[in-house]
Order: sequence, then structure tokens, then C-alpha cells
Amino acid sequence: MSKILEVKNLRTTFFTHLGEVQAVRGISFDLDEGGILGIVGESGSGKSVTSLSIMGLVDEPGKIVEGEIFFQGTDLTKLDHKDMMQFRGNEISMIFQDPMTSINPAFTIGNQLREVIMAHSDLNKDQAHERALELLKMVGIPDPESRIKNFPYQFSGGMRQRALIAMAIANNPKLLIADEPTTALDVTIQAQILELMRDLKDKINSSVILITHDLGVISEICDKVIVMYGGMIMEKADIKNLFAHPQHPYTRGLLLSIPTNVTGKKKRLIPIEGSPPDLMDPPSGCPFSPRCPHAMEICLKKAAPLFKISETQEASCWLHHQDAPEVSGMVKVEGEQS
Amino acid sequence: MIGYYLKRIVSALFTLFIIATLTFFMMRAIPGGPFTREKPLPPQIIAQLNAKYNLDDPVIVQYFNYMKGIATFDLGPSFKELGLTVNDLIRQGFPGSMKVGFVAVMFIILFGIPLGIISALKQNKAIDHVVMVMATIGVTVPSFVVATLYIYFISSRISWIPITGLSNPLAYIGPAIALSGYSLSYVARLTRSSMLEVLRQDYIRTARANGLSEFRVIGKHALKNAMIPVITYVGPMIAAILTGSFVVERIFSINGIGRYFVESVNNRDYTVIIGMTVFYSALYIVMVLLVDIGYSLIDPRIKLGRKSGD
Amino acid sequence: MAERVVTRMRNPDFELVESSKKMNKEQTRRSLTYWKDAWRRLKNNRLAMVGLAGVILIILFGVIGPWFSPYSYSDQDNRFTNIPPRFEIYAIADDGYVFLSSQYNLILVNEKGELLDKLVRTNMDAINKIYTYDYEGEEIEVDFKNRLLEDDGGVDIKVTYKNVTSIYPTKTVSNKTFPWGTDNLGRDMLTRIMFGARISLTVAFVATLVNLIIGVTYGAISGLEGGTADDIMMRSVDVINSIPLVLYVILLMVIIDDQGLWTIIITLGSVYWVGMARLVRGQVLGLKEQEYVLAARTIGVSKAKIISKHLIPNAMGPIIVSMTMMIPSAVFTEAFLSFIGLGVSAPMASWGTLANDALAGLSTYPYQLFAPSIAIALTMLSFNFLGDGLRSALDPRLRKG
Repeated sequence: MSKILEVKNLRTTFFTHLGEVQAVRGISFDLDEGGILGIVGESGSGKSVTSLSIMGLVDEPGKIVEGEIFFQGTDLTKLDHKDMMQFRGNEISMIFQDPMTSINPAFTIGNQLREVIMAHSDLNKDQAHERALELLKMVGIPDPESRIKNFPYQFSGGMRQRALIAMAIANNPKLLIADEPTTALDVTIQAQILELMRDLKDKINSSVILITHDLGVISEICDKVIVMYGGMIMEKADIKNLFAHPQHPYTRGLLLSIPTNVTGKKKRLIPIEGSPPDLMDPPSGCPFSPRCPHAMEICLKKAAPLFKISETQEASCWLHHQDAPEVSGMVKVEGEQS
Repeated sequence: MIGYYLKRIVSALFTLFIIATLTFFMMRAIPGGPFTREKPLPPQIIAQLNAKYNLDDPVIVQYFNYMKGIATFDLGPSFKELGLTVNDLIRQGFPGSMKVGFVAVMFIILFGIPLGIISALKQNKAIDHVVMVMATIGVTVPSFVVATLYIYFISSRISWIPITGLSNPLAYIGPAIALSGYSLSYVARLTRSSMLEVLRQDYIRTARANGLSEFRVIGKHALKNAMIPVITYVGPMIAAILTGSFVVERIFSINGIGRYFVESVNNRDYTVIIGMTVFYSALYIVMVLLVDIGYSLIDPRIKLGRKSGD
Repeated sequence: MAERVVTRMRNPDFELVESSKKMNKEQTRRSLTYWKDAWRRLKNNRLAMVGLAGVILIILFGVIGPWFSPYSYSDQDNRFTNIPPRFEIYAIADDGYVFLSSQYNLILVNEKGELLDKLVRTNMDAINKIYTYDYEGEEIEVDFKNRLLEDDGGVDIKVTYKNVTSIYPTKTVSNKTFPWGTDNLGRDMLTRIMFGARISLTVAFVATLVNLIIGVTYGAISGLEGGTADDIMMRSVDVINSIPLVLYVILLMVIIDDQGLWTIIITLGSVYWVGMARLVRGQVLGLKEQEYVLAARTIGVSKAKIISKHLIPNAMGPIIVSMTMMIPSAVFTEAFLSFIGLGVSAPMASWGTLANDALAGLSTYPYQLFAPSIAIALTMLSFNFLGDGLRSALDPRLRKG
């Protein structure tokens, strides 16, 4: 399978007046064509900044300081503003977390949809209008002919998210990035939206990055998962392995702390003690070490490389090192990988 | 929608009624009558004057007569400028005030808003600092100071700029600067902060993520939203400015209603004070009403009859 | 989780660390109280600190300044009327200098710029533009023909004393007797401005306080009561808000017709509380749904106590910001009222009164207008800077980072 996206050693930093906030600290991953990659992590883990970095939408005072982002062979970090515009909303689209604030309140849904369509095609206004109606139908908005004239305040949250999805898929993007698309919605609506996204992905034949803090959402539609913490990747795995035998203490902690019982066993919820690291002054070693129940001397000094557990699973944890104490469930790996 | 406008009009009329009533009884509460002088007039003359102006009627009758006058746009006679009515004074003063006010409002819209936008787009760059320092000075220096400095440094030194009056178009510059200085600066600051606020909004990020050009993102998506608070301020401001400023008209010797108002205050010409107050308030309320209606055309949410926040 | 320790050569790097040790590593975000945090942010805001320094200086200027002044605000010296802060002096004798005022008074000064006396004018020859003054029995002739010519060749006036004519001024000195000059009655401008500061600031502070008390009480009651009471109270506010308030201030001033300090204070205080009332109501509406308020209500704490103990302290941030902004606008309004002749009565003077008095002589004595104008502008500027800084320091939306 060919890769549609390859991120190499991405490092994004915010140069605030209080100091540098290292939001993303050298992460690498890739996405197969047609795949659905989940990025999971708690707030402040750097997952949203990762997606904004791909879109080239990191706002001042943030900057990509290092790394490459290859989209179908083109390094997006090298593009100037004008060239990047051709990709956004066209080749790569994004759906944001809060549909209540992500849609411009001052213009009708139709106006905003037409604008996106016309920005990346030669359609005239009438043709764009037809296309907009078609899109609204596709995302399941009833009575599109009258709804298209509505202002956003006349739409419910779920409807707005559908409208935003319509905008995102307007130009059949190759890559769709969804940043917590369901977090702000009611649970019943969440499932519908996820369903819709999966359908549309197949219809328009694109790949998806789904960013969320909710492992339940991940388990529903993703095929691969990246677990981020403190701006770094803790674990990369396919969905089965991640849930069946997580290879990073943080992933384990996450699985134990989610209420829906994804793993099929009934357990008490166990919170992860402590709080996420201060990215202004991140721990020099593994970002999770201060909260890790198995933290070792080396964890405080040096972040672990990604140990290759199997063909489909990698974890950044020193417990996989030969010299580490034995912890049940943690696989030892010969030598260090990546 | 019609219901909303109707409601606004009724409430405007109600406000005006309260203002007229309040003003009337406030002025009647003053000890001594309008003819009290340092050297007392003979009682029979006062009686004559009272009879002439129907001041010997019971207060309630006077009140009804007065309200009837207002309803028919008759604000009564002046007690000091003999032979003139309040309507005469307004008719004499209003055109001057309107003309200067109009120029000032144009200054504000043509300079204040663009400067604010530029400042926001170039946040923390040199031009932003320059604009903001000027705007800060603009809101802190009172109009009478601006006016006198203008006269001292500019019009009294440049012979072809008239110092007072409105004899030629150049004469409008000084009064318009003095009159607009505060509001212009305020509008620039407001536009800037509103624009910055809007640029931080999620929907701007959406617009960028959709690959729209920066020109469209700012000129269309940001601008319309950023203008809403500015228009909210500009509305009543236009009302206040068009009615002329007391101070500026006085300094530049412009025959405007503001000047007449100050003179009537200094002369304690009570009917003129009441009449002008009612007139000003009416003008103000009507302007605000007009702006509100115009505003509802811009912000779609208001059409439902509710205001989006205060 | 169960752990099984393997017996093999241990690499010290892979020793488990004790929880106490790693907790040290955990980020310890200093927990700051709201006010400490706000103060920290304010301190980092340079403009706000400039504003704060300005505010303190202006207050000191008004409060302490007059004690150091040898004059009082009403002391007149009719020898020295309309003397500017700087002037050109002409030497007449070994240690004698004179200065010709704009009113053609010849003032005897010394080299340092101290005013000594006004010389008696003995003759006025308006046709030849030569005035004669008496100095210790001798005549001083002042020829000011050139003053009125366009091309004066640098010559302003000619001063002749004992047949010695000075064409050029010896030097320009600063007025040591009255550093900021005098007004048309020979009163010290600096002292007048200092007393003006007292009056302007007193009006501003007290009026703001009155506004604060009315506005906070009104807004808190309205917000807490809710329902019909709130409706009626807010309708009234809407009505008041749609009246051009300046007119009412003027009207009230005319009606009370006693140009004392208190008239202005009461007038300003009674009119401008509406904004504060709205702000507080908005805050209270948000706060009253908070659990701690609900808890207080369920255990039967009185409304007055809920307002004073729970609501107002939590709404203090926006209230303080709004207050800081109210003070300069009160200074402004007071100056404006004084300027149109409704201010405090003579011989007291606020900055507005001083500016108004100076207006007539603007072209000849501009310094008389500049001093109060600059005082007003600096006050406004300082409070505005401070207010802006406080706003961003206290705004919870900006508290991150």
C-alpha cells in the first residue's frame, strides 16, 4: 500500500512571551492510502498541533521548527502560502472540534459552501449551488433546498457539524483530518457523525486522520492508532494490538481509565495519577515518567526510542529494553529500533 | 420582524415621553420662576409675564399644554431671546451642527475603521504601535484642547485656513477634527480589538482550512463579524456627533444648536434648555432607532427579535 | 500491577525510582491566587506600570504638592500678571535685568529668573511705539517698533537705560518665582494646577465611588432577584441608557444651581451608574448559578450576605476594571462641564475651569491653556493605560500562559 502522508521528525514550537512551548517534539508517522489513523491523547498532548501543522495552520507565535511532512511526495512544510492554499480544502480538508464556533455566523450555509466549492473549481455560482445541494444531501441534511438558505444559528450542533463536513468534502479531498469531530456533540449524534464519516470516506475514496481523546471513538472506526503524550509518540499500533496488549504504561493507563469497557472485562476505573507535563519546561526524559508506575532512572534522563514489538506495534518505553525489570505484559525486544 | 420594529418604535416613543415629563418637572422644581432677576422685577410685571406665557395656570395644565406642544413639534418661546421661539433657534442652529457633524462622521468612518483594521492585521508591528499610540492620545485629549491647539498651531498661523465660522470648506477641518478626535480614536481601537478577537475565532481557522485566500478570509469572513460591535458603537455616536458638540461650536464660533444650548444654560433660559434637551433626546433616540433597524439587517440573529448580547 | 524482579546483573539506569523522587520531576505549576496572578501579569505589562506610576504621581501632585508651594490657589500678585514660564531678559545694569511682558509691563528680574518687581510706566508713546519706565529714578526706554514688523532682523525690542541700548536679549531664563507662570490675576499657575488636581480628582474619585455603590447594589439586586423585579429594573436602565446623559448632567447642574464641588459630584454620581449596574447584573447572573451560591442559599444565608460575601468578591475583577475606566471619564466630564461654565466657582478651579479661563487669552498666553490641558491628558492617559493593563490582567479568558 502506498503512503499518502509521511510525517518525519516533526517539531512544532510556540514562541510565547513567557517562553517556548514545545507542543510537538519530533514525531514521525505515516498514513496508508485509504487508511483511518487515530491519534489519541489527552489535552495538551500535541495531537491538535500535529494536525494544524499538516494543514499549515499553526498560528503565530507557533512555528514548525523541524521536520518534513510529505503529502503524496510533496513536502508541505516547504510550500509558500499561495501553494498551500491549493491543498487546503481541496486535497486536504479538516473538520474541527466545535461546530458551534467553527462556522461563520454571519453568512448562510449555502454562501459558505459555494465559496469553498468555487475556490477550488471552475464552477459558476449556479453550478456551485447545485453541488452544494448535493453535498448537503450527502451529509444527511433533510430538505436541503430550504436549509441551504439558513444561517448557522438556525442549525443544531449536529446539523452544523454535518454542514462543516459537507464543506470539508466539497472538493473530494484525498486526506480528511478530523480534530475531535464528535467531542462537542451529544452521544447519540456522535455515533451518527462517525458513521457518516466512515461512509463518506469510502464514497469519496479518501484517507482519514481522526484526532480524539476518546479511545471508544478510536475503537469504532480506526485501523491504526498513535498514542501521544507530552508532544511525543508513546505507542503506534494497529487497533487490535493496542486494545489487546498495550505496550506502553501510558496506553495501559488510558485503557484502564475509560468508562466504556472496550476490553470486554469489568473493572474499576483507575485514574492516571498526576497531571500532564508543562510543555514550557518538559521533563528531559520520557514525558510520562513523572506519572509512570514503572519509572526507572533512565526514564528521567532520556526518552526511550520506539521499540519495535511486532510488525504492527511500536512503543517508546524503556521497559522493552533487555536490562529493564520484568513487568507483566511488557515484551522485551532485542536491540533498539528506530 | 415587523413586530420587532414596532416594539422598538413604541419603546422609543415611551422613552421620549418620559424624558419630556422628567425635564418638565425638573425645570418646574427650580426655586423662583423664570423671571427671577438679581434686581427683582415689580410684581405686576411678573404677573403680566406669567399670564403671557400661561405660567399662572396650575402646573398640571401647563404640563398638558407643554406635552401638546411637543406632540405638534412646538417647543415654545424663549424667555430671554425675546421674539424668538425654541423652534426658531433650532432652525437657525441645526444646519450648522449637521454639516460639521457630517464631516466629522465621515472622518471617523473613513479613517477610524481602516486604521483599526490595518492595526489589527499588523499587530505588534511598527504601524500598529503608531496607530495605537495616536489613538490612545486621541481618546485622552479632550476636544476643547484639540480645538484650541488646532487654532493656536494651525489656523492662526496659516492664513488661508479660517479660524472661526464655516465660511469655506477648509473651515470644516478644525471643528471636524476636534469633534471626531475622540470617536475616531475610539473606533480605531474598537475595530482593532474586535478584528483581533474575530481573527482568533474558530470559523476563521475553518475558512483558512478550506483554502480560501487571505483576502477573502479577512475581507469577507472576518470583516463582517468584526464590524458588528463597531456598528453598535457608531450608531449612538453618530447621533451624538450630528447633534453637534457644545464645546466645539463654542470655540469655533459656529452657529449650531450646541452653542445655543450652552448659551441658554449660561443665561438660564429655561424654555430653551427644556426644548433643546427634548429635541436632542428625540434626535438621539431616532438615530439610535434607525441604526438599530439597520443593524438588524446586518446581524441575522436579530431578526428573531432578540439582541445578541448587550 | 504485579511486578516480578529478575535476578540478573542490574544496570543502574534501569533501577525503578521511588515515587517521591519522580514527583519532584513532575511539573509543579506554581499555584497562584487570582489576585497574585493578576498582579504578576500587571507587573509584566510595561504600559500598565507606566500608567500606575502616572496615577500615583498625579495623586501625590494634588495631595502633597500644595504643601510645598509658597502660594495658595487664590493668592494674587497684581504686579506679576500673565507672566510666562520662560522669558527673554535684557540687561540694564550690572545685576539688573528686565523682561517685557505681553501686556507691556516691564518686570525687573535677576539673572536667575526670579521676579523682583514691576517697574512703573511713566510714559506711553503709542505713535512711536516707545514706552518709558522708571527704574530707581532713571528712565528705561522700550522701543518695540520692530516687534510689529514682519522682517525684524532678529530684533524684537530695544531697551535703553542710561543711554546704553540693548538690542538683543541677554538670555532666555526660566521663571523661578512662578515655574509655570501666572494667570491674568497674577496667581501661580503651578499652585492652581495642583489645587485643580485636588478638585478634579476628588470629583472623579467620589463620583466614581457613588456610581460604584449605586451601580453595584442595583445590578446585584437585579441579577439576584431575577424575574419581574429584574425585568422592571433593567427596563428602567434601558430607558435611562437611551437618554443622552450629558444633557441630564447639564440640566441637573442648572437646577441645583450651586456651583460647589458637591453639586458636580452628586450630579455625575447619580447619572453614570447605569453601565456599572449592567455589568454587575451580568456577572451576578453568571455567578448565582454556581454551586457555592446555591449552597449558601439552601442553608438560608440572607440575600444581602450572599451579595456581599459571594457575588461581589467574585465579580471584583470586571468591577475594578470598569472603575479604573470611569475615573478618567469623570475627569473628562468634569472638565467639560467646567469648560462650558458649569464647574466649581471662583476662586477655586478645576482643570476644566483653568482651561476655560485660558481660552480668551490663547493666542497671547498659550501656556495658561497648555498646563491644564496636559494635566488632563496625562491623567486620562495614565488611567487608561492602567485600566487596559488591569483588563488584560484580570480577564479570565487571557489567564492561560
